[in-house]
Amino acid sequence: MVDTGLRCRIFCSAEGAGLMVRDMLRESRFLVKDRGALFWLLLAFILSIISVAFGIAEVRDQQRTIAELVQEDRADRANALEGQEDWGGAAYYAFHLTYAPPSEFAFAALGQRDSSPWKHRVRMLALEGQIHEADTRNADFGLVGRFDFAFLAASVAPLLLILLLYDLRAAERTARRHDLLLATAGSSKSLWLPRALIRVMALFFLLLIPLWVASAVEGASLGVMIQASVVLLGTLLIWWLIIELISRIDASSSVLLTALVGLWLALAIVIPALSKAAIETRQPLPKGGEILLLQRETVNDAWDMPKEATMSAFLEEHPEWNAHATIEQPFEWKWYYAFQQLGDMKAEPLVAQYRSARLARDHEAGVFAFLSPTSFVERSFEKLAGTDAASMIAYEESVRDFHAQLRAFHYPKLFKDEPFDRDLLEGLPAYDP
Amino acid sequence: MTSPLEARSLSLNREGNAVLNGVSFAVAEGEVFALLGGNGAGKSSTLLAFLGFLEPSGGEILVNGKSVADDIAAARSAIAYLPEAAALYGHMTAYENLNYFLDLAGKSVKKADYDDALNRVALPREARSRRLQSYSKGMRQKTAIALALLRETPILLLDEPTSGLDPVAIDEFHDLVKDLAGAGQTILMVTHDVYGACQVADRVGLLRRGQLVGSFAAENGERIDTETVHAAFAERETT
Amino acid sequence: MNMMLRIAKEEWRLWLRSKVIVVATLIVAVLLAVTSVLTVNRVASEQSQRLAQQVAAEATFFAQPDRHPHRMVHYGHYAFRPPPPLAAFEPGVDAVTGQSIFLEGHRQNTPMFADTKAAADLGGFASLNPANLYQLLLPLLLIVLGHALLLRERESGTLAVMLAQGQSGVSLAMGKALALLAVIAIFMLPLIAVSIHSVVQGENGLAAVSLVGGYFLYLCVWGAIVLAASIILKHRAVSLGALIFIWLFAALIVPRFAINASSAAIDAPGKIESDLVMLAEQRKLGDGHNAADPAFQRLQKEVLEQYDVEKVEDLPINWRGVVASYSEAELTDLLNGYAENRMEQEANQSGLFNLFGLASPTIAIGSVSRTLAGTDLSTHHRFLRESEALRFDFVQSLNEVHAKELAYEDDLNRSSDPEAERRTRVNSEAWRVLDEFRFTPDSASDRVDRASFAFGMLLSWLILACGVAFFAARRVRV
Repeated sequence: MVDTGLRCRIFCSAEGAGLMVRDMLRESRFLVKDRGALFWLLLAFILSIISVAFGIAEVRDQQRTIAELVQEDRADRANALEGQEDWGGAAYYAFHLTYAPPSEFAFAALGQRDSSPWKHRVRMLALEGQIHEADTRNADFGLVGRFDFAFLAASVAPLLLILLLYDLRAAERTARRHDLLLATAGSSKSLWLPRALIRVMALFFLLLIPLWVASAVEGASLGVMIQASVVLLGTLLIWWLIIELISRIDASSSVLLTALVGLWLALAIVIPALSKAAIETRQPLPKGGEILLLQRETVNDAWDMPKEATMSAFLEEHPEWNAHATIEQPFEWKWYYAFQQLGDMKAEPLVAQYRSARLARDHEAGVFAFLSPTSFVERSFEKLAGTDAASMIAYEESVRDFHAQLRAFHYPKLFKDEPFDRDLLEGLPAYDP
Repeated sequence: MTSPLEARSLSLNREGNAVLNGVSFAVAEGEVFALLGGNGAGKSSTLLAFLGFLEPSGGEILVNGKSVADDIAAARSAIAYLPEAAALYGHMTAYENLNYFLDLAGKSVKKADYDDALNRVALPREARSRRLQSYSKGMRQKTAIALALLRETPILLLDEPTSGLDPVAIDEFHDLVKDLAGAGQTILMVTHDVYGACQVADRVGLLRRGQLVGSFAAENGERIDTETVHAAFAERETT
Repeated sequence: MNMMLRIAKEEWRLWLRSKVIVVATLIVAVLLAVTSVLTVNRVASEQSQRLAQQVAAEATFFAQPDRHPHRMVHYGHYAFRPPPPLAAFEPGVDAVTGQSIFLEGHRQNTPMFADTKAAADLGGFASLNPANLYQLLLPLLLIVLGHALLLRERESGTLAVMLAQGQSGVSLAMGKALALLAVIAIFMLPLIAVSIHSVVQGENGLAAVSLVGGYFLYLCVWGAIVLAASIILKHRAVSLGALIFIWLFAALIVPRFAINASSAAIDAPGKIESDLVMLAEQRKLGDGHNAADPAFQRLQKEVLEQYDVEKVEDLPINWRGVVASYSEAELTDLLNGYAENRMEQEANQSGLFNLFGLASPTIAIGSVSRTLAGTDLSTHHRFLRESEALRFDFVQSLNEVHAKELAYEDDLNRSSDPEAERRTRVNSEAWRVLDEFRFTPDSASDRVDRASFAFGMLLSWLILACGVAFFAARRVRV
């Protein structure tokens, strides 16, 4: 069939806008009677509600956990500090909670919070031995992943859109209505465009409404809500374009659907998997275990090394304690903490390499995500929700900063041999997320 | 004076095969012209060409004196088209179908007019609020005819309009077509029903293997003689 | 039978003539082949790498110089979990859990550096392995191939002709089923190849055969669902849409929903939470480094009575070593209590998750697959338990050395007296107390036992789907 010579009657004038409104009204009345389409739309709405409800439940659970931990952490520290008689012991026994609270929008994309730790309890020992502790989560869960809004928008919504739109034309052709419809409508634009558009918009709003309600409940900012809506709209429009291009092929409904599902598989599963494999080959990661090994070997060797060697290596980093760094006893706390820090220093190049490789992987993943709308949407949502890899790495950095504050608090007391004063412990740095 | 419908040396190709080869005819205002032919003679394709669905591979096709290729939308808005075994939406009632398709044509019609049109095609009143999936083939055809009436276009294209109708309904339909032509509507119908064509048409063209091979016109207020046309049709088909 | 073969052959002819189907099948086949080869190679290299790491860790431990035995308690050791042979097909929880664990005194560490933590983040399910392809992709292929199996005959009107010739709907359906079964059989080949490879690598034949059997069941379930849809539904587009909806539900929505539901239903506290509670209890137990801790007074009384002496200085053994050993045992009890509780909660969560196999065959086959491959959660838990036993053994053996071979006086003064410190160093021969650790999967019969419930679910699915298809086929009318 050929539709040449179709003139731009629509969108070209004010009258065109009026026609468009009339077409949209007609097609919305038509949609209301299309039970197949209503089913997919209702399903989208229900799934959206489920996804945000689960998301909110999980975020609330994490908030509750954090609130409890903050309480228990304080009590535990007080308990541990009680009965301590020197600065070294106080630093050894006092753990400090660090955590990354979920953002107001985290319910929509739990993202990396499921695979990277977001809470630690650290003390003044070598940090590298502590920061890689992962608070375990059921391993089966990490395998499958969560049903959050980001997943719904990125993976399921395109499939629903495909099911809504793939046979708009082909079904009319099979039912032998196609020519009559077109002959009556005059142009294909005033028929297919509004018919598809009303479905896209219905899907968009049905997915969006639960998200908006949940965002309002959780107090996400308007800016984030608007950005999330734009991302969702963008992905639906891109998939609409893909479906539109494919369904112009003059083939049967089932061939079209097969082609579209194949394309979905390629864009949602195969390309991300290939990209991931490519990135991870291009950006090899130093073995995490090596960091630990190096740090522990250093700390353990220090017991056997001459204490001067340890202290002089420490002083290179901290010349300010030059005057206070002689060790006379076989055991002194300042020597102990000095070699703990040496362990961290020794591991630092590896740590930096590990971190920069993670960042590089994340950066490349951002580039490769342009090849797959699914990856792009998930990453965008994670970014908005502060649950992307960069946010998790930033949290780790904040733990390192906090640990440095702990050292800065204790070193003067240890090195200057200040008399132990329990009241001064009130001034211990507190982690501020 | 320009004819509402005119084909000038029209040739059409479908999927690489020539279906129409240099056919010329014109239908005057208020005239009923029937194109008669066997299977694959190119009848339906001719109608699709007037609607701009098929581009001529040769010659020209005009609606109201203007080339269809230049303004498809204008051509379509002047034409009401009744496809063969017209399928409307099964999940909607007759009213809803009419409403939807008239909206699609950009025509607003009063509910009372729906009933007028449905009365003219004799669709039982009780059926009008039922979904079309419960209709017989004939009832569906009647609904589609009502739609064509409600369009109130100057031109009507009919593709095998009486297939699926019972004899009474066929007679009623023929009367309706004559009425419409009398009111000034230009009608082009394609059919393989010799009797029906002769009943309603002012002129009958015989189409065979993509060419117009004969033409019969009604004269002196008489109808075209069925026997003559039938003889010509049968002879041409067998040779 | 002849009739059925004839119908099946006809179906195949049709498939082979359809470009869409041939292309789709070829793409899936290539994807499957490439993924299998890549995964087999990756897992083989990881296996040899981790075994080498385990051996190296042991050698390093043995090579430590003479020193105080408690120093070796803190020096620690590593346990590695090499992937079992069938991980080449189903890597399972391996990527999520981390595969090595650091073992030291007074602490139970978690496995660190899971692959997923540092993985490039490309969203949802960005990893491909043969098991994934079998679970997700092959059902889709069966849908594309089979959604019109019977209704095609209806659409083209040949159904009426066939029924009029006296063929029953059931025999027609059986012929169609045979055609689909042949496709399934062909697509079992890559799995069979990987299984044979795993048997060569030392996997037990029973586990490998059961795995093949499990996937065959799973694909047959999908085949039966597809066949039933093509019998019951009247339009090809409707059938395809409905089947894709079922796939969407079974493969994507239900599993994730089940994760959310089971993590919401059963609260497994994180390690920090349980550690906090535990720390409070631990303080009551006393610090094993400090033999003067009042918590050990009762122990002191008992030990003094046992050896019939007045003061700890008079004991023939080193009191500090006794305390270290005692407190390690108490602490380990406590730690194990919490660890067991956590693992039990996790196992409950997974049990609940697996129950959703009643709503999705994909969950059931996932469970069968991980269990048989030895990459499931319970194998991971066993790894945790065994590495903990390894930890406790070497720590307590060192504590025994601490108690028996060091003089209490020297031990007490080693922080202030360099000579005493020198005397507390024991000969490094003592480090030989460390046991060799080679983690192996459960025996095949254990794994098969554990998978039997999920197998049962798959079988119920098959019976249900075949039953629906059969009754629908019996009622086939034109």
